[in-house]
Amino acid sequence: MNRSKKPTRMRFFANKVFRVLTIALMVSALPYAAHAEGDAELGKKLFKANCASCHKLDKKLVGPALGGVTQRRSEAWLLAWIRNNAELRASGDADANAIFEEYGGSVMTAFENLSDDDIKSILAYTDAPAAAPAGGTTGEVPTTAPVAAEGEDATLLYILGAFLVLFIFLLLRIRNTLKEVSGEQGTTVLQDANALTKWLASNKRFMTALTIVVAVAFLYQLFWFLMGVGVEQNYQPVQPIAFSHKIHAGDNQVDCNYCHSSARSSKHSGIPSANVCMNCHMYIDGSEIVNEAGQLKYGGDRSPEIAKIYAAIGWDAENRTYIENYEQKPIKWIRLHNLPDLAYFNHAQHVTAGQVECQTCHGPVQEMEEVYQYSELTMGWCINCHRETEVKTANGYYANAEEGTQSINERLAAKFHDESITVEKIGGLECGKCHY
Amino acid sequence: MATEKVYWKGFDQLANTDVAQRMAQNEFAQEIPVDQFLGDESIVGKAQTTRRDFLKYLGFSTAAATLAACEAPIIESIPYVVKPDSLTPGMPTYYATAYVDGQDFASVLVKTREGRPIKIEPGDEGRFNRGTNGRAQASVLSLYDSARLRQPIKGGAETDWATIEADLKQAVDASVTAGKQFVLVTGSVFSPSFKAVIAKLRQSYNNFVHVEVDAVSSSEVLDVWEALTGVRALPTVDLSGADLVVSFGEDFLSGSSAQQLSKAYADRRKPGKGMLRHIQVESNLSLTGSNADKRVKIKPSEVGSALAYLYNQVSGNSVSVGSLSDSVKSAVKSIAGELSASKGRSIVLVGGNSGANAHLAAAVNAALGNVGSTLRVDQPIYIRSGNDRAFNNVVADLKAGSVGALVIAGANPAYTRPGFAEAVAKASYSLSLCDRLDETASLTSAAAPVPHYLESWADYTPNTTELAVAQPTIRPLFNSKSALEVLGGLTGEKQSAKDWVKATVAGYGLSWSQTLHDGGASINNGAAISSADTASKAQSGASAAAEQASSVKGGDFEVALYQKTVGAGFQSNNPWLHELPDPISRAAWDNYLTISAKDALALGIVNETQSNGALNGSLVTVKAGDFTLENVPALVQPGQAQGTVGLAVGYGRSAAGRVADGLGVNAYELNLSQGFGAVSITLQEGEHEFASTQLGNTMMGRKIVNEVSLADFMADPSGASWNEKPTFHTMDGVKTASEANLWADHDHETMHMWNMSIDLNSCTGCGACVIACHLENNVPVVGKDEIRNFRDMHWLRIDRYYSSDMTDARAEEENIGAIDKYAAMEVPGESPEVVFQPVMCQHCNHAPCETVCPVGATVHSREGLNHMAYNRCIGTRYCANNCPYKVRRFNWFNYQKNERFTDVNPAQDDFGRMVLNPDVTVRARGVMEKCTMCLQRIQYGKLEAKKAGQPLADGAFTTACAQACDTGAITFGDVNTAGSAVQVAKNDARSYHLLEEVGTQPSVFYQTKVRNRA
Repeated sequence: MNRSKKPTRMRFFANKVFRVLTIALMVSALPYAAHAEGDAELGKKLFKANCASCHKLDKKLVGPALGGVTQRRSEAWLLAWIRNNAELRASGDADANAIFEEYGGSVMTAFENLSDDDIKSILAYTDAPAAAPAGGTTGEVPTTAPVAAEGEDATLLYILGAFLVLFIFLLLRIRNTLKEVSGEQGTTVLQDANALTKWLASNKRFMTALTIVVAVAFLYQLFWFLMGVGVEQNYQPVQPIAFSHKIHAGDNQVDCNYCHSSARSSKHSGIPSANVCMNCHMYIDGSEIVNEAGQLKYGGDRSPEIAKIYAAIGWDAENRTYIENYEQKPIKWIRLHNLPDLAYFNHAQHVTAGQVECQTCHGPVQEMEEVYQYSELTMGWCINCHRETEVKTANGYYANAEEGTQSINERLAAKFHDESITVEKIGGLECGKCHY
Repeated sequence: MATEKVYWKGFDQLANTDVAQRMAQNEFAQEIPVDQFLGDESIVGKAQTTRRDFLKYLGFSTAAATLAACEAPIIESIPYVVKPDSLTPGMPTYYATAYVDGQDFASVLVKTREGRPIKIEPGDEGRFNRGTNGRAQASVLSLYDSARLRQPIKGGAETDWATIEADLKQAVDASVTAGKQFVLVTGSVFSPSFKAVIAKLRQSYNNFVHVEVDAVSSSEVLDVWEALTGVRALPTVDLSGADLVVSFGEDFLSGSSAQQLSKAYADRRKPGKGMLRHIQVESNLSLTGSNADKRVKIKPSEVGSALAYLYNQVSGNSVSVGSLSDSVKSAVKSIAGELSASKGRSIVLVGGNSGANAHLAAAVNAALGNVGSTLRVDQPIYIRSGNDRAFNNVVADLKAGSVGALVIAGANPAYTRPGFAEAVAKASYSLSLCDRLDETASLTSAAAPVPHYLESWADYTPNTTELAVAQPTIRPLFNSKSALEVLGGLTGEKQSAKDWVKATVAGYGLSWSQTLHDGGASINNGAAISSADTASKAQSGASAAAEQASSVKGGDFEVALYQKTVGAGFQSNNPWLHELPDPISRAAWDNYLTISAKDALALGIVNETQSNGALNGSLVTVKAGDFTLENVPALVQPGQAQGTVGLAVGYGRSAAGRVADGLGVNAYELNLSQGFGAVSITLQEGEHEFASTQLGNTMMGRKIVNEVSLADFMADPSGASWNEKPTFHTMDGVKTASEANLWADHDHETMHMWNMSIDLNSCTGCGACVIACHLENNVPVVGKDEIRNFRDMHWLRIDRYYSSDMTDARAEEENIGAIDKYAAMEVPGESPEVVFQPVMCQHCNHAPCETVCPVGATVHSREGLNHMAYNRCIGTRYCANNCPYKVRRFNWFNYQKNERFTDVNPAQDDFGRMVLNPDVTVRARGVMEKCTMCLQRIQYGKLEAKKAGQPLADGAFTTACAQACDTGAITFGDVNTAGSAVQVAKNDARSYHLLEEVGTQPSVFYQTKVRNRA
């Protein structure tokens, strides 16, 4: 397989511009949508958080399909059932017991914490799901603003350049016209250009200056080219599954550590194993994903991307069981962040001990449809952060001490007094901290 | 003054012949055929490629190669489909299990990463034999040995298990009908499950015979104990109550004995009142002998007589005593005096496999009242139970053709017992359950792989108080099946090895999970053995044993077999064990005949140092009765008793794998079942190349290893007289080495300050730490040739120094001049005292290496460590030149790729690579490396403390070497932690820095060795 380093710098800008446009469109659409269906939108969120693991709107899952449930049951009954169905059944409600029997006695969780309004919102959503808008949060706007400015700058320069060329052309024409008026022989633009070139070529000072400028520019470019060797910033390989961090970490607010659980305790953040995916995707098969036009993206079928997880782990989505004796096929993700072997990096040190946000190094992952390497991951980048970041000295490792011994904090205070304690001051720039 | 001397290259030059003149004019001896090539128009003219084209191609391909190198490869990252709960990628998981390799037993912890065992660590406190010797440490590499058998084999072709099992069943049934025996040959069996299977086989088949055979036999000794106690087992030695240990040739510190004694020995050797005194009477200079306070040289044949004489002295009886030299006699007499002074608080041990000697030693112990106090006969150890008489009967039966089916499991008698190889073919059917196609398995009609101990379920009762449970730490790498299942299947028991073990644990009424977690449990399996009865039996049989001992015939030369770190040879194909130099001779990758300097001179045996510093030696032929060994290299060994030679077993393999095959000679071929015997030695043609790692054999009167006698130590606890610190006269008066300072000091008070203390009194020199370091830090194996070039890569070495007969005092007394004095000082004495000193990077706080590195690749940390950044190193080697301790190692080759190292370097093998520690960089060619004080462990330990939000506790983690050290000689920790073990050690009067006068202020310091001289 070739390493498809998808975006070159240009394409990366193009992507950004495209992203800005999409987001801008979405944001502009947002006020209307929010205005139209306030209840249902809250209901959608609540539905996803509380109900989606067992219910779908249009088909049976663990529990019955809930689309149009308000037409089948009274609101009061539904409120009682959802709040605490066991109580309702115990009260001898015939309908409640019938449903309980119909679904093989699987017990539905009680939702005592949901208010009446919450439940009504959920019911509103089950009535009119399509009206609820897809994604798009206002939080993205500020981060995209500078990108837009960057794009405009470049365009502006091109336009200015074009104006300059046009201006020179016009001046030459005017000069020519004036010459012709004064009776001298006129020249064409081409002749002017030739004359200028000849004059410049024969001007030693100019040629010397030009040579120096070109050479310096070349060396400058070469230097940065070589410095960039092995720096894989913006690396965005095609992954075996079109997994969207935006949907998971952004729209659905899944905590990074839910999937990358070992980041807290281990050197590796860990790619979640397929059984972690199945915790949710046993119930969410992507059939309800809606595209930008507001239609079902896969026509109501399950998402082919989620089906890849099923294929890996051997989940029979029709019968909702794991296939016995299935030869599981591990998912071969492409590793994004490749530190050289000579550098030792430990996630737990940064996430747990240093309490660094994931986004500090990995960027706005919650906004990445397709994840890419956000940071340079060069040694200079590491070192800079170690120079600037303050140590979380509240940790008992620094703050506490055995009987009869000074704590590290006390010793640091004795040496540095009131200065802030950066990672550098406790030895964070020493070679052996990362290279061994 | 300009020299007028002229050196001639040879007689030709002197005579100034024509040839010599021509040679002087021309750079090359033969003319280079440039004209023939360039002058030939037809070749040059026809060439399609012009010079310009060539340059174009060259430029283009260089540019293309450069650009291609810029493209990083795609790296896949493949998570589990279903991740096991107990496993977190990047974090180690530990399993408690039992290490059993056919010779040793140890309770160990196995560190695994992502499902791969990568390190063996000592078992839980309180477990029996919880220490890890060199073999136990290295055993994890034997798991990944690509020479292991991968599929069952029948008649030389691969087959499956069903065929093997069907064939076995058929052969066994056929042997029943034919009225022939069904024989099972194993090593010592001390597994309850395996014993249960054997009992079942005995029930099912009337013709079933089971024999146990140990590679290094203890059969005669076991016979004696069986007669004395009724149990075929060795007694437990309890050193905790001993003040004096006298060992007749028993090498109990080298890890070759069944019971680990190093820790108890070191605990009793703490300097101070009541320090254990140790006298060794032996012929070879053994590891144990080099630790002794007093060492007496003796011929192996004299040991029996010496013991009989000793018995007479301590008991007042008069059993017959064979011939004994006067020097030995007087030495034994003084030993008897010392023993009598500590009755009941002493112990006499005996090595080798002589029943008479063992009985006499038991009688001496009985006479001294040691039986029941230091010699616990009521606590038998079952690790050895081989029976040579039974085995010899089986060999005779085989030769007679009365064996129908022969199964060999966990033994390699074709290698260890001369004559067995011919007998195997006589069996109608033979099956070898083995780990590789070894000498035996390549003779049997079928061979099938058994799992390595790290892949298998097993249970053991090594003694009366311990049930050890072994659990797998990795899925079997190959298509193997445990002998338990194969033989159990024969009786119709189709249960798995795990079920067998579970049943054993349940049988003792123990909790399965807890037992598994702890790696075993304490049980009470006591044998009712009366110490008094045993003692009286031992005494009453003494005269018969003395008769037998006095009839032993000596010879002009007697050989005593011994074991190096390779041991009996079960792990001969493990390169780490060969790379570790012998602690005494400091020669690696070999076995050889050790011989005294006087005998060598008499026989014309020469050991010569070559111009490159390497050692070459003569070859000899050794003959013991009808058995001959040719091409045995001879090494002159100080301290070897005259008239004796030593030879290590475990070498001379022919079917162990590419590392071991053809290395050394097979000492088992001398057929010395007692471990010693008379031999004749004749010099033969040829020379052998040794790979020795140490040139200097003595300390030349310097304070490298500081030593003091117990009496002096007790008389001056402050150490002022025996641990003098070097001082310097400066402008500001007399200053110590650390005060006379050129540089600004580092800040070592604010954070941690890692220091290491090495107690030379506890260090026995065994080398387990070196192997532990090897595997913890991915140190490359370089092989014999490179070791010969002194390019060994061990980060930690154990220097061995002999004492010389020449001392400053003697020189003054005898009026010997300085030159003669120093020349004599270089020569080790005939009966030298030996000291060991582990030396690794001393992590100098004023490090000479740091100041000379032109690229700042080696720099100091504020935690007292000397860091080495491999990726910054450009390989100038200035640092190594400037290091006074010579602990820096240079990667001369790409050991992971270079074909020269394919045979020895495990990192060149897909299986062997799995042993690499993923937290440590594998170094590239051209960079310097050295001890990091297990920086990866320090960082891990600190992080664990931060994750828990607690201050770092003393002893929360330690270095690989300190962990592997049974005797606790190495203490590691933070000196800034009040009351930490290392802080206490630093302030001890015995502590000193190596070459303190150099002013390097190391973070490593040593504790003075104290000898309990009489």
